[in-house]
Amino acid sequence: MWVCPNCQEAKLGYRRYCRRRVPLKPESACALSLLLSFFTTEMAETKRKTRDYNNRQGNKKRKVSSFKTLKSKSEKNNNDGERRKRTGPRLPNALRKELEHMGRTNRSNSDDEEIDSDDANDVYEYEEAIPEEESMKNRRFDPVENFEYELPKEFKDENVASEDDDDDSDGEDDGSREYQEGDEADGSRHARMLQDITGLPVEAFEGKKRKNDVVLSEAYPESEYNPSRDVLNGDGRISIQDLVDPLHGKSGFSKLRKSMHRMEKKSTPILAPLPKADREKLERKVTYEQSKKDITKWEPLVKRNREAPTLYFDEDVDLGFSTIGAIASEFEPRTEFEKKISALVNDNEVLEAHKKDGARLLELNKISVEDVKDHQDRLAKMRTLLFRHEMKAKRIKKIKSKTYHRLLKKDGLKAAVAEMEMNPEAAKELAMKQEFKRAEERLTLKHKNSSKWAKRILKRGLDVQDEGTRAAIAEQLHQHALLTRKMKSMKDNSSSDDSSDEDYGDDISDSSDQDRASKLLEKAKEKTLGVINEDGEVPKSGVLSLPFMVRGLQKRKETADEEAKLALEEYESSLKQLEGKRVIENVKKGTASGRRIFGAAKKHVEDSSNKIKVDNYYGSSDSEDNLEAKEDIDVDRSNNFKDEINFDPDLLREESEIGHNSFFKSLEDIVKDAGPKTTYEVAIFAADSWKKANNERSKCEKVADVNMKNSSKVDKPVLHDHDIEDVEDGSDSDSEGQMVDGILSSGTKPTYELPSQADLIRRAFAGDDVEDDFEKDKEQVLNEENPEPEKPVLVPGWGQWTNIQQKNGLPSWMLQEHDNARKKREEALKKRKDAHLKHVIISEKLDKKAEKLHTKTLPYPYTSKEVFEQSIRMPIGPEFNPVTTIGALNRPEVVKKAGVIIKPIKFEDVNPHERGEDHKRSGQKKKKSTGGSIKRNTNKIKVK
Amino acid sequence: MFAFGTWLPVFQFRGHQGAVRGLTASTDGRILVSCGTDCTVRLWNVPLATVTDSDDSSDNSVKPLAVYVLVIPLLLKYDVLRHFVSFYYKPNYSSPFFRAVDHQWNGDLFATAGAQVDIWDHNRSQPVNSFEWGKDTVISVRFNPGEPNVLATSARMNKCSKPCKLPGEVSRAEQAMSWETAYGHRTKTNSIAWNPMEPMNFTAANEDCSCYSYDARKLDEARCVHKDHVSAVMDIDYSPTGREFVTGSYDRTVRIFQFNAGHSREVYHTKRMQSCDGSYVISGSDDTNLRIWKAKASEQLGVLLPRERRNQEYLEAVKNRYKHLPEVKRIVRHRHLPKPIYKASALRRIMTEAERKKEERRRAHSAPGSMPRVPLRKKRIIKEIE
Repeated sequence: MWVCPNCQEAKLGYRRYCRRRVPLKPESACALSLLLSFFTTEMAETKRKTRDYNNRQGNKKRKVSSFKTLKSKSEKNNNDGERRKRTGPRLPNALRKELEHMGRTNRSNSDDEEIDSDDANDVYEYEEAIPEEESMKNRRFDPVENFEYELPKEFKDENVASEDDDDDSDGEDDGSREYQEGDEADGSRHARMLQDITGLPVEAFEGKKRKNDVVLSEAYPESEYNPSRDVLNGDGRISIQDLVDPLHGKSGFSKLRKSMHRMEKKSTPILAPLPKADREKLERKVTYEQSKKDITKWEPLVKRNREAPTLYFDEDVDLGFSTIGAIASEFEPRTEFEKKISALVNDNEVLEAHKKDGARLLELNKISVEDVKDHQDRLAKMRTLLFRHEMKAKRIKKIKSKTYHRLLKKDGLKAAVAEMEMNPEAAKELAMKQEFKRAEERLTLKHKNSSKWAKRILKRGLDVQDEGTRAAIAEQLHQHALLTRKMKSMKDNSSSDDSSDEDYGDDISDSSDQDRASKLLEKAKEKTLGVINEDGEVPKSGVLSLPFMVRGLQKRKETADEEAKLALEEYESSLKQLEGKRVIENVKKGTASGRRIFGAAKKHVEDSSNKIKVDNYYGSSDSEDNLEAKEDIDVDRSNNFKDEINFDPDLLREESEIGHNSFFKSLEDIVKDAGPKTTYEVAIFAADSWKKANNERSKCEKVADVNMKNSSKVDKPVLHDHDIEDVEDGSDSDSEGQMVDGILSSGTKPTYELPSQADLIRRAFAGDDVEDDFEKDKEQVLNEENPEPEKPVLVPGWGQWTNIQQKNGLPSWMLQEHDNARKKREEALKKRKDAHLKHVIISEKLDKKAEKLHTKTLPYPYTSKEVFEQSIRMPIGPEFNPVTTIGALNRPEVVKKAGVIIKPIKFEDVNPHERGEDHKRSGQKKKKSTGGSIKRNTNKIKVK
Repeated sequence: MFAFGTWLPVFQFRGHQGAVRGLTASTDGRILVSCGTDCTVRLWNVPLATVTDSDDSSDNSVKPLAVYVLVIPLLLKYDVLRHFVSFYYKPNYSSPFFRAVDHQWNGDLFATAGAQVDIWDHNRSQPVNSFEWGKDTVISVRFNPGEPNVLATSARMNKCSKPCKLPGEVSRAEQAMSWETAYGHRTKTNSIAWNPMEPMNFTAANEDCSCYSYDARKLDEARCVHKDHVSAVMDIDYSPTGREFVTGSYDRTVRIFQFNAGHSREVYHTKRMQSCDGSYVISGSDDTNLRIWKAKASEQLGVLLPRERRNQEYLEAVKNRYKHLPEVKRIVRHRHLPKPIYKASALRRIMTEAERKKEERRRAHSAPGSMPRVPLRKKRIIKEIE
């Protein structure tokens, strides 16, 4: 039935063991049983038990139970070992004896069914020869007299319940199990113990003893921890009922009973345990699921960190005090020196002296000889340093390197420029220097390719030169142009200013007003003539030499000439009139005359200018303004003389740059710096024409238009004061002047009007034909981008024989090709974006420079073009952003501090739905807490 | 053991009879655990700043060690002699040698990998726990820094059976049971590293030249495949910031990847080099040298004044913003590689391209739907084993 080589071996071993085992000790007996059980369990999956003792009959003798197998519950009871033929291996004599003995005892103890079933009937059942050692055939084995070993009297036995008991009594209390374990060997003992524990009489337990049909399926090897089944069965088993009974009548009993009932009903047979692999797999699965769940708790935290624009790993390391004062307050002198110093500083006397007035400090401040010596030493040291510095400077000065000096010069220039900006004096000086340079340039023409080198180069031709040389030549020319042009402009301005100033100075000082007027007119005439005569001086270089500029200039010149001619006529007529008037005035000289008025006016002008010079310190502008004022007067006068003259601004401009422009300028000035200036200006008017003052003012206001309104309103009272003053000043000429002025003023009318903006623009760009230019430009661009196809050219002998060529002209395919190309071009032109936009050129040429700034595809994290473009639209540099946002814009993804250990993430509760303010709070919280904390960049959120 | 920034070893630990296969330090840097082919695990006390007999290192040079040990635990190497102390563990069964060891973060446990995974305690001479997964040899083991009770292991490919399974298993240490699950991978996973900032994610360095980032909860699909190496990836470790990791490969390069990028950010190369770690990157190589690299090659070392720092931040931000423009991109991505590596990568490209083409053609000639497209993230995974 069971054939197992192991078993045989085991038996062999056992036999040997038996031979040696005299006298068998209890431990070794135990070991034997262990050994046996080990064999059996190894042999098959069936369960086996060893019954150690049967103590119920008071038989203290130790017996070793034989092998037995429990196949099933049903099998157990009807097994009768006696009926079976013994065919197993021959058991050792000792064992057999014991088995017999046991059988006897069992039979005598017939009430115990369990034990019956356990009888040694299921032992090995095949024949085996008597072992050698028993047959005494072999002398190798020691003879043993007594196989049975008797335990000494004092030995007690102990049984421990096996784990298997749990299998049948599933829901049993732990207590009951303990109970069983402790107490199965002896019925009486058990009963006693029960009595002890429960406090019930022994009889209470008697009836229940054999209720328990134990089915044990034992997965464990037999040992002292896993006692055999028969140890457990029967005798001292306690059912749940036993334990529950005493609770009867107590609170919660019914509940307990109910649950017990439920358990009993439900109880199903236990399934055999799964194979180990499966079990492990299940375990793994369960733990994995569990851990999955566990680890999911990190999700919101991780999500937050990932979404954060910046992770912070710079923990706040406690640096202690942050201010110098705080640090200083903690300072304690330690070294000798420090102690000395602190003693001096904290000296009471000194402190007090300091607090009072410091006079006593002088007394305290006695200098010792050593101190003086120290001081001298220090001075000497400084002097040495100075000397060294000097030596160094000398050395530097001696350096011959051109590069070095060039660089030095450059630095010096830079410094000079910086200084110029700061210091007006220096600026003046620099201007002088510049002027000198220009003069030098004019003189030497150093940069006009007049040098030997340049000449040689030009002689050889610029085209054959390399890039560098050409650039150098161009640079030279450019410098020349720069110098000369600047010179011109500067000179023009200055000279004209000077001359005009001088002229007017002369005018004002020397000549009478009438003379002045005539002179002025003459000069204007002269200038106009000059303008007319001066022609054809078209600049040959620079911007003005460009064709469209030339054209514009010419056009403008023509119109100017016309105007100048007109003006000339007018001047002449006015001059004649003036002459006529002078004659009249000379006649009226004795009485009141305009001349006197002019004289008075003149005087007043001078007076007022003087006054002004005293009054307001506008320095340089004063004289200018005066001049302007006088000009105004002149203009007025001329107005008076010829009512119908319309002052065309262009004409005036042509006439001189003095009059009207400066008048405008003065007005602008007035508007600009309100207040005193205005009053003074108006005061001049007032002084000029006594009673005309109001008139004048109204005119002035009209001219100055809305701009003036406020200031003039404010100034009115002041103005009146002036009037009064003036009136008082020139009281003598008052009456005479009135009349004439009245006449004069009656004639004056505000004829001048400011040209409209459009007018001005038109005038400014009078010569430019912008539209035409634009069209041409557009055509050019179109031609460039979609070039016109070449016209087919008849090349004699190519494509066809010449005679045929002569006959037929161009071959048809050539014409067709050309036609196709043309059509293609037209199509392309039509398809252009700017085809229907008259005033727009949209270049469709691929711009290589712009190409650099485009990506070929949309970069990865972005999903739409707009978003990407938006993201790189705004610059992030410090030049474009306020300091407050710069940090947030430029912050790197990870901020860490050198040397700070970055710890792994720490768990904290994060609400996945929180936003904005909450983040901020959590960030702050974290900032306080230490350890691998990650803070949300709150600033950035706020900014956005 | 070396101090960071010095040439000579500070300490030398002698005791192992065979090659040392794994080394790790405890979180506080006081205890060093090493294991090797002599079937032993040794625990060393790291003497802190009490160097008496090494004349080269004064106290000053030792002190920073205590700091850096934590940041770069695996940098520590050791050769010979001196301060070895204390325990000596030997398992009572004759096991094949240990292949890897890792220490728990902030705990007393450490795990060794060999024939099985053993969990040890500092204070006990027997493993606290041991896990087994089939009969595979476990190659590497790593504790999860964020969730200290979870560890991951990777194991050798099953050699005999063809549709092999290579389990990289995830097991839980503290409980008596282990939670382990495995994904079968077509090729061997050499090493594993957890993301210290994202406890559910780990990255596995694979023999097939790529690294695979996984979510521990969804092992049937990699979350990201990091390609660029041209030979087996031997080792991997995460930066403590969790934003990037570094890999060492058999192709003698060290590459730095963003945690979510498919291609590497930076590559370092030299003759012979194999594994690495750290915020500075430290690589050990066959030629018995340790090399220290900067994680950001162009980064300036030393103290930065605030203004300078701001300026650099700005420049960095500008670079980052315009990195997509073609010219900037070219400069940013340009790396000079040794010829063999460059050629190998070109070859790899060609091969993958050819493979792709072939598959396309097959797909075109087969019934629609019969050849479903499998993303690369799933392609290499055979199945998830429970």
